[in-house]
Amino acid sequence: MNPITKPVAETTIDLSVNGRQVTRTVPVRRTLADFLRDDLELTGTHLGCEHGVCGACTVLIDGRPSRSCILLAVQADGCAVTTVEGITPPEGLNPMQQAFKDHHGLQCGFCTPGFLMTLTGSDPDDYPDDGAIRELLSGNLCRCTGYQKIVEAVRDAWGRDGS
Amino acid sequence: MGPGRLVTDGQLAGRPVYIGARLPRVEDERLLAGRGRYVADVHLPGAVEMVVLRSQLAHANVRVDLSAVSAADGVVAAVTADDLVGVSPIPDFFTDARPVREFLLQQGRARYVGAPLAAVVAADRYLAEDALELAQVEYEDLPAVTTIEDALAPGAPLLFDDWPDNRVVVMPDDDPETDRVFASAWGVVHGRYRIQRHTAVPLETRGAIAEYRDGRLTVWTSSQIPHILRTLIAMVLHIPERDIRVIAPDVGGGFGAKAQVFPEEFLVCWLARRLGRPVRFVEDRNEHLQATGHARDQLIDLEAAIDERGRIQAVRGSIFHDVGSGEIYPCGFNPSAVTWSAITGPYRIAHQRVDVTCVVTNKTPSGAYRGFGNPEAAFVIERLMQKAAVAAGVDPLELRRSMLLAPDDLPYTTPTGSIVSSGSHRPAFEAVIEGGKVAVERARARFAGRSDVRIGLGFANYLEGTVPSYFPNTGNWGGQDSVSVRFEPDGGVTVASGVTTTGQGVRTMLATLAADTLGVPLESIRVVIGDTDEAPYGLGGWGSRSTGVAGGAMLKAAGTVREKARRIAAHLLEAAPEDVIVADGAFRVAGSPESSVTWRDVATAAYVRTLDLPTDVEPGLESTATFVPPGIDHRPRPDGRMNACATYTNASHAAVVKVDLGTGAVTVLEYLVVHDCGTLINPVIVEGQIHGGVAQGLGGALLEDLPYTPEGQPMAVTFMDYLLPSATDVPPISIEHFESPDPNMPYGAKGAGEAGIIGPAAAVAWAVEDALAEFEIDEITETPVTAPFVWRSLQAARARTSAASPVGTR
Repeated sequence: MNPITKPVAETTIDLSVNGRQVTRTVPVRRTLADFLRDDLELTGTHLGCEHGVCGACTVLIDGRPSRSCILLAVQADGCAVTTVEGITPPEGLNPMQQAFKDHHGLQCGFCTPGFLMTLTGSDPDDYPDDGAIRELLSGNLCRCTGYQKIVEAVRDAWGRDGS
Repeated sequence: MGPGRLVTDGQLAGRPVYIGARLPRVEDERLLAGRGRYVADVHLPGAVEMVVLRSQLAHANVRVDLSAVSAADGVVAAVTADDLVGVSPIPDFFTDARPVREFLLQQGRARYVGAPLAAVVAADRYLAEDALELAQVEYEDLPAVTTIEDALAPGAPLLFDDWPDNRVVVMPDDDPETDRVFASAWGVVHGRYRIQRHTAVPLETRGAIAEYRDGRLTVWTSSQIPHILRTLIAMVLHIPERDIRVIAPDVGGGFGAKAQVFPEEFLVCWLARRLGRPVRFVEDRNEHLQATGHARDQLIDLEAAIDERGRIQAVRGSIFHDVGSGEIYPCGFNPSAVTWSAITGPYRIAHQRVDVTCVVTNKTPSGAYRGFGNPEAAFVIERLMQKAAVAAGVDPLELRRSMLLAPDDLPYTTPTGSIVSSGSHRPAFEAVIEGGKVAVERARARFAGRSDVRIGLGFANYLEGTVPSYFPNTGNWGGQDSVSVRFEPDGGVTVASGVTTTGQGVRTMLATLAADTLGVPLESIRVVIGDTDEAPYGLGGWGSRSTGVAGGAMLKAAGTVREKARRIAAHLLEAAPEDVIVADGAFRVAGSPESSVTWRDVATAAYVRTLDLPTDVEPGLESTATFVPPGIDHRPRPDGRMNACATYTNASHAAVVKVDLGTGAVTVLEYLVVHDCGTLINPVIVEGQIHGGVAQGLGGALLEDLPYTPEGQPMAVTFMDYLLPSATDVPPISIEHFESPDPNMPYGAKGAGEAGIIGPAAAVAWAVEDALAEFEIDEITETPVTAPFVWRSLQAARARTSAASPVGTR
């Protein structure tokens, strides 16, 4: 009578996460975000909406910003995944993280890793002014900062003067 | 700005080093590195996952059959209200509000879509959600009410069968003088205003994980009020409060939504105890938009008696507040009482008679959201003032100038009893006018020659009551909070407080105040908040209260510790205590700078080298103090008036907007804030609070809406429907700080947490009308001011114009 089949099929995936080779057997329906957070204990990647809008779960897949909440872990098979833990130096902060701290570019910090990953995966030359930076960041929602001090942080990290 | 110039002598150890400085926050590094620990990051061995079955109908008698759920793979528990033996409802503390008897799971009757019907626990969330789909729910559909008007209509369906109608609270008002002023007024203007349902929507949803181990319950929860929750868990689950520990770890935004207790926070505790293993609940976004408290949703009918210069002599009318099903604690009706108290804003209006009616409807319970009744008040009074200016034929800026509080007016008591003792109401307005005029010219130049757009400028002035009483929305507690200051033997300091943070930089604030009050380096301080085992009892983080109330407790606790340390130091230096000064992390004898002992020497003497202590000084170096904000009323006084807040921040806002004539789309090009919250403890943090508040205010003014169908189905249940402002929706925001310290407040500081959100709806509505002045659109009386709304207004205005024009001239 139970319409649910036995636990769904599993498969083995091979991928690189923050430069480390990982081989795991995962249920095929497991999201990449859950795989990173629960299986690999990389809890710096956050879930804000689980439907691909807010960008809090952004990670890099082969260098490109991607939403880990609407990807399955199996889709990252053979890829190189980078999370916020992977861009943080062993001591201190990287220049973009430091700029966020210097400019008060974060408050609660929940959306922050997603912003950092979007920025890490983007080429500053493609975003020459504040308007373009705002366009780039418009796929990441922040409810605390009103974005202004994030824009200031990006400007600083990218070596630009005001606006 | 000169740091500390506003701080009273003797409060600090010496010259302030940190207060007023643009310091980076102490909390940031771990959050930036991905090492924050939010509730969903708390992984406990053996934890199982709870999901909640929710009503799909707005109003129904329900019967839930979980037999198939219980048999599903991985399920360890499936419970309905009937299973919750030994559990009490959340008490209804108010005697003057009708009881809603909120129970953790609905007892046979659902009153809104999203109401919790059952809880299912399984090995992981995937299996739990699979199992949930097997629940059999029998609904007996009942007629729903979803608007204030329908809820109040004669014969309306009742949410609570034992109530005579759907009014949860009525606050009558009586002021015969107001009616006399109206009877002899030069003129009367009237408006009916609606502020739509929208809400806080922190980026982190709610969540809680509970563990029952060795007779103690520990619950990690995304909460602004851990001690309040602990007290309520003890009442509802009947567990001794000493055996409950509530931890609010890193919290991913709250804005009021998490200053409420929710059924799931109790359910995980009850289930963890029953199952003997940790139980976790993490809300998804779809649930959040239906099950976490909504806010606003007011209808305000207000008229103003004006003189020949448009000046408002008195206001009277009614506030109606749709609180949804009302099943929420703290109670959802208090924002409209705040609107009542704030409706005359910083304007001299001598008389007010405004009654308040809060009604229940078949919608999500509404409650706290940043601003808490203030944005509604600012929107209404600024709208009505525009009408007064038109009626009297006066310049709207002049009208406001003539009514704003002047320095000579202070201290000023508003008609509802708020006592405004300090502020820069007129200078702030003049400063924002100046900035706004420059900004609008810049915008006009930028879009010169564009016939398809119009540019407009609008303003708003308001007071933000801060550090309020908690009694009006809880029926308990006054407004107290606590701080403990404890030196460790090596000279380090642990500061703990009952205030909490959801990202406002409260740790930095506490460390800053402690460092300057004790005279120790900021780096020597560790701050503990959000843990009921570690922090003294307190009421949490809400109401722009933390600096004001923890500041008062800090002055007492740190002052006690400092004076004890001075006595110890004097003994070590063989000097009289009154000759010992504390500065730069050390104690010196006045006049002989070479003899000194450090805080570390003193702390070591206090705990380790205790034989070195004076004989009349006990070992140890710590103090805990509680502070009650001064001068606040917890209940209305006999004359019906009350001063519910300890102090009042003021600000003036300006918005420059562009309106696209083809689509009606409103773009905010620039936003200006002149802000005065007294002594600035950390200007950067205050700016961040204002920026974030303005962004949320603009969201409420232009985008965010929680509409319902007539049957009570919510229409915004994902981020595709509920539009949060993005980086391209929020314009550059300029801020100018004024500092008028409140002499009655610790450190002269007021509060800034909610300021930014209060002005935008009022300023934007004015700016849009200004932009479209030539078209003579109808007065904007509601939010959000969406593109379709503006487009329809333009169409209606054009239709009127062409109907009035002679044939053939089109």
